[in-house]
Amino acid sequence: MGSLSYQERTLWGSLVAELVVYLPYFFLNLHRANSVNKVAGTIFAIIVLQIIVQSIIAAATRHRITDERDKIIQLRGYRAGYLTWVTLMVVGLAMLWFHSMAGDFPIHAGFVGLHFLNVFFGMLVISDIVKTVAQIVAYRRDS
Amino acid sequence: MPGLRNTIRELRADQNMTQQELADAIGVTRQTVIAIELDKYSPSLETAFKIAQVFRVPLEQVFQYEAGRKK
Repeated sequence: MGSLSYQERTLWGSLVAELVVYLPYFFLNLHRANSVNKVAGTIFAIIVLQIIVQSIIAAATRHRITDERDKIIQLRGYRAGYLTWVTLMVVGLAMLWFHSMAGDFPIHAGFVGLHFLNVFFGMLVISDIVKTVAQIVAYRRDS
Repeated sequence: MPGLRNTIRELRADQNMTQQELADAIGVTRQTVIAIELDKYSPSLETAFKIAQVFRVPLEQVFQYEAGRKK
């Protein structure tokens, strides 16, 4: 950790927090409960965990500078995240349409709404993780 | 592929300056100074001038452009 800049440390912290919160949500079948409360709980958990992790990192880092290279890498990360989000948006909507056409789930307002919520939430989560990973990779490649 | 090369490491050694001291003087992180020294990151014009000012040398003594040099 000694050779990492403040921005790199915050990125690693974000990645750990994201994986700790999102992996159980997506891989322990919590999302199958199809509940708005579960999504809201996950969002609340990531916010709380991020605040704790980032506070610890800020307290443990002496030089908390953000410079021009950090900003360029941040933009690269946002570009990667945006491209991922757009791609997943098209794929996600196509899958929703395909499943509804195939009759995998009945089309009534509440059910489709929850499916949309899960798909969009999943896309946002994946895009955010891609953004973070892209930035970490950019830092490692440039150093 | 064209690229910049620089003499920051040599200039730092001449003035007994650490990477952290240079980073503090020009307002960037030590990791950015390392990336610049290794020619892995080309700084902005403003940062390039700041580096030259710190070493009190002309810009072209710090940075040289080499067409055809692979980055």
